[in-house]
Amino acid sequence: MKTKLFSSIVMSFSLLGGISAFAQDSTGDADRGRETFMRVGCYQCHGDDGKGNDAGTALTPDPLPPEALANFIRFSPGRMPMYPEEVVSDAEIEDIVAYLESVPPPPHADDIAILKDLKPGS
Amino acid sequence: MTSMPTKPEPKVRPEVGRRNFLKSAAVAGAASTIPGAATAAEKAAPDARLTRGAPPPSAAQMELEASSTSDGADQLAQANSEQLAVGLGPEDKPSFGSDFMIDVMKSLDLNYVFSNPGSSFLGLHESIVTYGGNEKPEFITCMHEESAAAMANGYYKAALKPAAIMCHGTVGLQHAAMNLYNAWCDRVPLVTILGNNADANGRLGATTWRHSAQDPAAMVRDFTKWDDQPMSLQAFADSFVRGWKFATTPPMEPIAIVADADLQTMEVEDRASLTIPRYTPSEPPQGERGALKETAKLLVNAETPLIIADRAARTPEGLRLLVELAELLNAPVVDLASRQNMPTNHYLNQTRQSGRLIPRADVILGLEVTDFWGQVNSINRGNMTAQPRTKEGVKLITISVNDLYMKSNYQDFQRYAPVDISISGDAQASLPALIEEVKEAIDRSRRRELADRADGFRKDHAASYEESRLLAARGWNSSPVSTGRMCMELYEKIKDEDWALVSVGASERFVSSWPHRLWNFDEHYRYLGIGAGGGVGYGLPAAVGAGLANKKLGRFSVNIQCDGDFMYANGALWTAAHHRIPLLTVMHNNRAYAQETMLVQGTANNRKRGVDKSHIGTVIQDPNIDYAKLAEGMGVWSAGPIEDPDELGPALAEAVQVVKSGYPALVDVVTQMR
Repeated sequence: MKTKLFSSIVMSFSLLGGISAFAQDSTGDADRGRETFMRVGCYQCHGDDGKGNDAGTALTPDPLPPEALANFIRFSPGRMPMYPEEVVSDAEIEDIVAYLESVPPPPHADDIAILKDLKPGS
Repeated sequence: MTSMPTKPEPKVRPEVGRRNFLKSAAVAGAASTIPGAATAAEKAAPDARLTRGAPPPSAAQMELEASSTSDGADQLAQANSEQLAVGLGPEDKPSFGSDFMIDVMKSLDLNYVFSNPGSSFLGLHESIVTYGGNEKPEFITCMHEESAAAMANGYYKAALKPAAIMCHGTVGLQHAAMNLYNAWCDRVPLVTILGNNADANGRLGATTWRHSAQDPAAMVRDFTKWDDQPMSLQAFADSFVRGWKFATTPPMEPIAIVADADLQTMEVEDRASLTIPRYTPSEPPQGERGALKETAKLLVNAETPLIIADRAARTPEGLRLLVELAELLNAPVVDLASRQNMPTNHYLNQTRQSGRLIPRADVILGLEVTDFWGQVNSINRGNMTAQPRTKEGVKLITISVNDLYMKSNYQDFQRYAPVDISISGDAQASLPALIEEVKEAIDRSRRRELADRADGFRKDHAASYEESRLLAARGWNSSPVSTGRMCMELYEKIKDEDWALVSVGASERFVSSWPHRLWNFDEHYRYLGIGAGGGVGYGLPAAVGAGLANKKLGRFSVNIQCDGDFMYANGALWTAAHHRIPLLTVMHNNRAYAQETMLVQGTANNRKRGVDKSHIGTVIQDPNIDYAKLAEGMGVWSAGPIEDPDELGPALAEAVQVVKSGYPALVDVVTQMR
């Protein structure tokens, strides 16, 4: 799954980079996080609620911890633009993660009538 | 189809054309007020009456002719053209050059001319609607020549038959140019008819001068296959048929024919002396047999072959042939989908796995792939470097007409791709021979080995589909509406119709490719590709043109319409309403030029300048545009803007009924960016 691959990459960066300014548990503010998420344009590729799409991977449910997220966006090796500290501070990243954690999980495809019985050729 | 023996010269009287008539008439009119001029006027008058069907000019015309202003002259041209139309009807025998031009078009079974009216083709316009009875061709009223060109593009891809556009001189062609370029990049044949006043002496006023050119087609010569400016009616017939043939021979492309205003308006004395050449379609070029044999051997012996198809299937037969080839080899296909090459429900359609398959492949066959280099290399946009995606020793083979696509200036031919075997030929036309060679090269034991691959691809295909199905649920209840929900609510409402997704604008990725991930594209006509040149303003008019074709074919046309693209050419909605073209347009209204929003943001980020200003120039907000109201204002049934995803299904259900009753409908959905 794309999300698992993304998590693996990010965790690798975390081990290599090692930023330790983050609290063990997320202490961010979800409301502020949503405001930052929209203001700095995360929503453009990842969706308003971090659901992900062809342009950006899913950030919810189960968002990365702030430290891992920071490591990835500070040193993004792929097509995602880098977000240096001048653009998004560590505190703002904590807020973003708090927001992502607050997003309710999506329904399962099997609980959606339109998607439930969908199969190739249907 | 008309076929007549060739005769050397038509007997026509260009000297009694519209403008000479006007000069004569004007002198006659002036004679009544200028002492001593009566003799000259009397001499001129009989000549004027030679123009059949044209009554003497009115007092208003005389006044306009005497005026030195350009506006007056143009009004005079307009008024005079209306006079020329008086008394003509379908029952009349051909009398004017433009009537003969219509005969030429009818001989080719040309169904439609997409156009916005213009004074340089008044003769043709009048002949289409009166002499020709507004059938074959029918005049489709467009609100912009750019729309006309896109409509002809969409029409071709749905009907698999060329249409024409008619452009008024310099200005009309400049408007049309962008979507002519899209058609050029899309290998779509269409005929561009250019009105022009070549004879400077006959130009009545300043505007006519501005709208005339010495070489009118020059502006689009870089992205048309051929053009001509015939100076006689017989040459017009020859050029039109020749151009039609050029356009429809792969590589198919637009062509341009100048219809000189004098030719249109001249009286034809002896219609029987003019001949219309017989049109015989050229067989598309087939790849060289020896090279196809070598290709077949490589494919049969490959352990991990891969087929990449872009415009391989020109017709439904192309899709059938590609399926046959893939099944023979049990080779996966990556469908780049500039046409629907491979059914999405086929287990060998492994498009979503291209990132895994390309590096693993030992033989890659590209079929009409425009940017083959881009498929076998990866680009790091961060530092703008590229490296091969393929493994060491891979054999690369291309079959395409790309090497016959020769223009220098515009760079659509893409980066040069070194390959092992390059076969110059139309892929679809070459597939039967390639299939034969593949069959020849497979012995019984190899056939069993190849068959063993099937299970793995079936599992991968099913897994990929299931992954997309699960992902579509993400953001299902989001507002703005997720593109996944928008596309699947739409599919739910149309899947039992004989549907065709006629446009998604410049890229299906703008809606995260949900249709090709989860819809059942089992027929060639289910998808028509994108605006290939990336020129914005393609989506809606192309959909309208395709909708016109599908109306006759009994198909249900669907257009997923990006908001930025819509605002370039929204007058196409009026055309759909006016001509009763059934088309369901679903707005992907993310209130932004989303791709550019992301790119500007990325640039700002890379420069460490913050992204707070990245929205400037890239979002379409403050005020938000109400597309439903826009549609309503043009006579199109509409709903929205819809922000609550639960309201989407009922609105779409209603819209589907409107379309099924023969009318266009638009549902405005406020969406996530992608």
